[in-house]
Amino acid sequence: MSTPLRYQDTGEVHLDFHRTTNGTIAYLRQKHGAEFLDDVFRHTAQDVYRSIWDDLKQGDPEQLVAHWTYFIEREKGTYKIEREGNEIRFIVLQCPATTYLRNRGIVVDPEFRRQTITMNQAWSEGTPFEISTKITGEDAYVQTIRRVKL
Amino acid sequence: MIPSDHFVRFYNEVFKSLDRKGRVHLVDYWHELGRLQVTELGDRFKTGGLEAAYEYWQRIFLEENCEGEVKLNGDVLELRMHKCPSLSKAMDNDAGAHGLYCDHCMAWVEPVMAHAGLHAVFDMESRTEPHCVMRVTRDKKKAEEFAKHAKLPSTPYIPASLPPR
Repeated sequence: MSTPLRYQDTGEVHLDFHRTTNGTIAYLRQKHGAEFLDDVFRHTAQDVYRSIWDDLKQGDPEQLVAHWTYFIEREKGTYKIEREGNEIRFIVLQCPATTYLRNRGIVVDPEFRRQTITMNQAWSEGTPFEISTKITGEDAYVQTIRRVKL
Repeated sequence: MIPSDHFVRFYNEVFKSLDRKGRVHLVDYWHELGRLQVTELGDRFKTGGLEAAYEYWQRIFLEENCEGEVKLNGDVLELRMHKCPSLSKAMDNDAGAHGLYCDHCMAWVEPVMAHAGLHAVFDMESRTEPHCVMRVTRDKKKAEEFAKHAKLPSTPYIPASLPPR
């Protein structure tokens, strides 16, 4: 990895922030629409995680893979990584966010997964990669980083 | 997935986007936060009073890795934040903190306290340094006295008290 992971939180994990993320998404979707919501996610991907995006623009996807790995492990989700040719597949078997919400009887907003889908799209902009998200189950999805340009 | 550790940085982007669209949209969102928190805490604080608020913030200080003190002295609950993890994260952020980041705190505290019959005074001290003091009391006059001595009182629902975007 050419750049160290920009954010490496330690200490207590306050999983209830997934509830507030869910509520915030619901509010923005209903009050301001999906386009506005996507704009917030785009800023989050490209401005907050500028370091990850800069690496991707330089053709290096490893900080993004390290970011996904660090936080899913910290939140005790389960995953596996497959690397094959020009693809890296980050397979989320048990997403800690939706699992947390459902275990507490909180209705997962229909656009909750938009955070992952849109941020992955935003991260691929202006880079040699296509970063796609495929929802494969209630708490499962696959993120694929595919190099499409040299 | 936005990690739960990074909600604050996402929240900070929400504030910026709403403020770009118009200050009224940001204030509307603060009202919504207040409404949600009244649902969550309003009756608990109304029934349990300052003691319930004290228990709540003791737990929050632990869960959210706050550096500071929560004290209940008679009729005054005092939260003294030496290092606010929320503003610290919003600032330790390649995107930078929204100028009114701190104000969202009083924006939900105020309606909760109004519902509970309590009075809160939140002295931000600075919007760019992660320390502040909040005092909560049942006594309105005492609260007014605290407000007089606050360096930078937070009054998010008084538009003139907010710096322009």
